[in-house]
Amino acid sequence: MKITALLVLKCNPDGSDPVVLATAMDVSHFGYFQRSSVKEFILFVARTVGKRTPPGQRQSVQHEEYKVHSYNRNGLCVMGFMDDHYPVRSSFSLLNQVLDEYQKNFGESWRTAQADNMQPWPYLNEALNKYQDPAEADKLLKIQRELDETKIILHKTIDSVLARGEKLDSLVEKSSDLSAASQMFYKQAKKTNQCCTIL
Amino acid sequence: MIHSKALLLLSCDFATAWNSRKLIVSNKRLLPILMDELHLSALVLSYSPKSEQAWSHRRWVINMIARNCSTLQWIIERESELVEKIAERSKMNYRAWNHRCWLVSFMTREQVLDELKKSRNWSGLHVADNSCFHYRRRLMLRNLEGFCYTQDNNSSGYFVETYQIWKEELDWNESLIKQYVGREALWLHRRFLSMYLIKHMATHLLAVSCQSKPKASVDIDIDSLMDHELCLVHSCSTTIADANFEDFQAQAIHSAAYMLWLTKQIPEYQGIDIQEKLRAGVGDVTRMLKRSCPDRSSLWDYLVGYHSEP
Repeated sequence: MKITALLVLKCNPDGSDPVVLATAMDVSHFGYFQRSSVKEFILFVARTVGKRTPPGQRQSVQHEEYKVHSYNRNGLCVMGFMDDHYPVRSSFSLLNQVLDEYQKNFGESWRTAQADNMQPWPYLNEALNKYQDPAEADKLLKIQRELDETKIILHKTIDSVLARGEKLDSLVEKSSDLSAASQMFYKQAKKTNQCCTIL
Repeated sequence: MIHSKALLLLSCDFATAWNSRKLIVSNKRLLPILMDELHLSALVLSYSPKSEQAWSHRRWVINMIARNCSTLQWIIERESELVEKIAERSKMNYRAWNHRCWLVSFMTREQVLDELKKSRNWSGLHVADNSCFHYRRRLMLRNLEGFCYTQDNNSSGYFVETYQIWKEELDWNESLIKQYVGREALWLHRRFLSMYLIKHMATHLLAVSCQSKPKASVDIDIDSLMDHELCLVHSCSTTIADANFEDFQAQAIHSAAYMLWLTKQIPEYQGIDIQEKLRAGVGDVTRMLKRSCPDRSSLWDYLVGYHSEP
């Protein structure tokens, strides 16, 4: 049962790339030399999926043994990268909680954000640690009723989130989140058909 | 030694290199040298956690230590923690958990109980990993064996404690089954727990409760146990709530298979009314199995038919 990352993004209605507002990542279980690549991929996937999550929608994207959960509430989008065993309901109640906390702490200031904010937000890091155990997230479930009313859309692969005609490979190439090394790594892994751990 | 170290860092399963190290070390048998061996194998395991040669080298070293030095208990604890760290990064690592199970034979009763407590949280967060539950089963068996060999005045107290542990494990397992839907490892663990409770503890309990003081309040009774299990199985196979997210079908199959398995474990002498209850239960089970996994209905028929033969 693992949460690898939690992110808060600002999604623009005009369809441009989302702006990162806060991140918390735990990549300690990856090998030392893979960690920076993994962080880049997490950002890339978060931007890609966040951009394609319309306001008011919840969706979960399955990729290998990870599930990426995304919830967009009026332009403020929160995402969680969890493993396959972390229950889906618990994930979304956690995401709800993070959203509420963000709005409590930062109000509406995020609406004017233009550039990525890499300052750490202590609450998010604490939440990443505390909610590794889904039982904690389930405690939040009792006070959230709206979760049952909105449907959660499940995607079996990242490709099904992309619009028709879009290819993941070309997005990887164009992305500014991924360094040359990460892109090489992605291409190599694809060629040899290996499991590229995060993408 | 330097050459074999280099060889092993390149190719961790090179048995000849490990064995040549064993040869050299067995001539000296000093604790620092043995600890060095443990360091090297830990390093090798950090990048190839499933290397059987590395694990067996550790076992050889620990055997050497057990013969000469007295820091064994502390080493066992550290080994246990090491396995847990490695298992975190490398899921379902049978060899790592097998090593940890091997350590159990060196543990004292206090250590066994301590290990059960410490590994509980970890297991609760890794419900798909059958190996860690296998380790818990090994610990509980060791605890039970300990009881069988101590037939002294303290035995009823020991027994009550063992029974409490068993009961707690069953309750905890039930809460996990309800929380994490459709996890086969949890159901397999339950099979072990119920079977041992019914087969081994029930008979002991009758003997002990006759002799012991009234405050030994253990209310084991096979009837109520079976009732409880039937209820659990029923609740697990009939709730098909949100089929998109949780694997309720798997939960139904596992619970029905569990019931079927349990009915075959009850020895014939346990009494007529239990058999009746089971027969009624089995009727339900067949229906459940066929509904949740219809493509195996001939298998279910065969298994159930086999059971009701006199």
